[in-house]
Amino acid sequence: MSGTGIFITGMGIISPVGQGIGDTIEAVRKAVGGIKPLRLFPTLHAQPLPVGEIGSFSSVETVPRTHALALIAAEEAMKHADGAPDAVIIGVTTGGMSLTEELLKYGEGDAKRYEYHSTASVAEYVARRMGCLGPVLTVSTACSSGSVALKIAMAMLRCGRAKRILAGGADALCRLTYYGFHSLQLVDPEGARPFDRNRRGMSVGEGAAMLLLTAAETPPGNAIAELLGAGLSCDAYHPASPHSEGAGALRAMEEALADAGITPSDIDYIHLHGTGTIDNDIAEAKAICALFKSCPIPPLSSIKGSFGHSLAAAGAVGAVMSALSIVHGIIPANTGFHNPDPDLNLIPVGAPLAADVNVVIANSFGFGGNNAVLIVGHPKRRRGIEPPSYAIQPMSFSVIGSACLTAAGSLEQTMDRMRHAEGFRGIVPPSDILRPLSEKSVRRLKRFSRMVLSLAVSACKNSAAAGPPASVFMGTGWGGLSETHDFLTKLFVSNEQFTSPTDFIGSVHNAAAGHVAIHFQSTGPNVTATGGDCAFEQALFAASLLAHDGDNPLLVIGADEYHETLSPLFDASVATAGTPSDGGGALYLKPATATSPCRIYPSFMAYSGGSGRIIPALIRALGGDKRIKEQFGAILAGIPAAQREKGKGQLDDFLSMTGYPHPVIDYRQCVGEFASASAVAAVLGVLFVQAGEIPGNVCHQKATPLLGRGVLVLGFGNYITAVEILP
Amino acid sequence: MNELVRELKVKIVETLNLIDVLPKDIDEEAQLIGGDIGLDSIDVLELVMMLEKDYGVKIDSKEIGVKVFASVRALAEYVHHHRSERND
Repeated sequence: MSGTGIFITGMGIISPVGQGIGDTIEAVRKAVGGIKPLRLFPTLHAQPLPVGEIGSFSSVETVPRTHALALIAAEEAMKHADGAPDAVIIGVTTGGMSLTEELLKYGEGDAKRYEYHSTASVAEYVARRMGCLGPVLTVSTACSSGSVALKIAMAMLRCGRAKRILAGGADALCRLTYYGFHSLQLVDPEGARPFDRNRRGMSVGEGAAMLLLTAAETPPGNAIAELLGAGLSCDAYHPASPHSEGAGALRAMEEALADAGITPSDIDYIHLHGTGTIDNDIAEAKAICALFKSCPIPPLSSIKGSFGHSLAAAGAVGAVMSALSIVHGIIPANTGFHNPDPDLNLIPVGAPLAADVNVVIANSFGFGGNNAVLIVGHPKRRRGIEPPSYAIQPMSFSVIGSACLTAAGSLEQTMDRMRHAEGFRGIVPPSDILRPLSEKSVRRLKRFSRMVLSLAVSACKNSAAAGPPASVFMGTGWGGLSETHDFLTKLFVSNEQFTSPTDFIGSVHNAAAGHVAIHFQSTGPNVTATGGDCAFEQALFAASLLAHDGDNPLLVIGADEYHETLSPLFDASVATAGTPSDGGGALYLKPATATSPCRIYPSFMAYSGGSGRIIPALIRALGGDKRIKEQFGAILAGIPAAQREKGKGQLDDFLSMTGYPHPVIDYRQCVGEFASASAVAAVLGVLFVQAGEIPGNVCHQKATPLLGRGVLVLGFGNYITAVEILP
Repeated sequence: MNELVRELKVKIVETLNLIDVLPKDIDEEAQLIGGDIGLDSIDVLELVMMLEKDYGVKIDSKEIGVKVFASVRALAEYVHHHRSERND
């Protein structure tokens, strides 16, 4: 039993109602409305749609809007901290999109201008500015991203992998989200009216909220509130609409309560997701009515009628607002609500309400049926029943199935090429992607989502004994580039009048993982990590933190598509590479026991920071040079082309410091340059370990028996990662 | 009207990337959404965008949508009516 509590010891926020905690609580007291017609960019709409736009804020650096907002919130959260956070985990969906759109619109071809495009660049930027040297994770699960980031942070703190973590979410308004939600007819032309009978949709918004979370046995003096628990689930129902009965939302709320060790009657306030769309509010209301079927429903409200929907930031904004409700004894008004909806059978709080609030449940739900629920409590609240005990160690997994896609095709075809000493760098043939799928069932999916679904189906093809995967962990550097490109192209060609709603849904980074969940009815956690070149390692890391003993099988997938326009602009390694490449890998896993064969474990992830101490830290994390030489018969080393010199130096240091005597395979030379190339490496590593040898001709290596040893997959460059694969 | 029905069938197949469905396979009297060719709410939104772009016809509420997308014939009639209104 771990008595560790996760305390919020710093908070920062910027939203359409104000900048900073002080302004925000004042705005909440006065029920200030932040929804106004869009001004950020010109539109052809006679009357621009109402949005939650942040008026003016000072940013000293020339970074895109999301980055600037994230930094403002981070600086406030860290204002009184006496050192850097051990890790940074941020939920983002738009990244540098607001700037990228402008650049693409005017045909900017200089890749340097896109250096802040990626969602990963937001967390990395914040981490650098906050001096964080540890893991940096980017979560991209649409509108639940911020809450999922906080859940992962909690898990990491509970198992002692960090003492304090800066976590939250950020997103800025951009054309993609403004026109995208409009094309889905999910925007209320009169501004969001959550839970109102006449509601017609959301108001797309922007903002950032960051929380400094500190693990401690007793509340630290600076504790603002305690993050008591969190629950994740996936509807596995529809790409863009919630389950009509709110089944997934209910499961996430139940998970969160169980995680916190409390019951519905302990809840004093429900901080609603409450977007104001017809379907969200019905699903959420049904879930709440089911959860509180045997006790009175506490006061509830959505702030999205005044804040707008800040997408990836929303869950973190909800966490900050929950803490403020507890500290200041106030329940925010559900702005926009006037007429009760008999179908919902719930009346939210109409005006700011003074109340004694000790425990808050805060909901967030996103595309892909991605649900995340947080429980925030008073830091000195007397505990009722004890929460369940938490894993002391992150989970290691046993591999029960695997698949990859390379230019050679499937895993079998890739192995065949390898045996014949032929490379498999290049573009995956579309026919190989489609092979395990029915074309009709994927007619709406473009290249990236097809690759991911294809990998998932192939990895699980022998799943009869173990059952289908219950949860899905996805890593991708860039997500659905085809959809992003086609959406923006159609928008610009039509002078910003027409778009494709299908492309908008597909452009969301977690769309592919959502399709996998629907395919397998995987209703457990569904997490998409988008941390650039270590996105796959981030997904595996998240899986190891969130899995529990005895859990059902799960999928960990890494994939990226090559897009001829966008990939060379966004990914510096792709631009450097001679041959365009893409592909991915999938591992079908179950929690390992001491006797499980073929175990995989993500043992290291940190910023290299130019510090000379990082390689010794890596060696220590792997158990020292003796263990490395004894346990691992080969190293698969990933060095992204754009960081070749730096990464090669790090690898050389590692090899000389350990005196490593076995083969080292520089795998990007044969797999190709794409962000999730490490997923292919991990799948090949698993295959080598299962076969007990490195077959001949892999990147010009001679055949080498592993003699009972495992394989180590290392990533070098700006971030150093290690994944152990043991027989 | 028959010409418009034919034209819409082609546009439906092209816009929605329907596999194994030829324009002539679509029964213009049959239920369009949730029917044999397997269209759903996302397809409806895609068609809404196409109708606005190609015919200047706006469909911005679920209630109208249900009526308009009942069948290809209903769709053609709605487009015909509202397009001519606009052109007059």
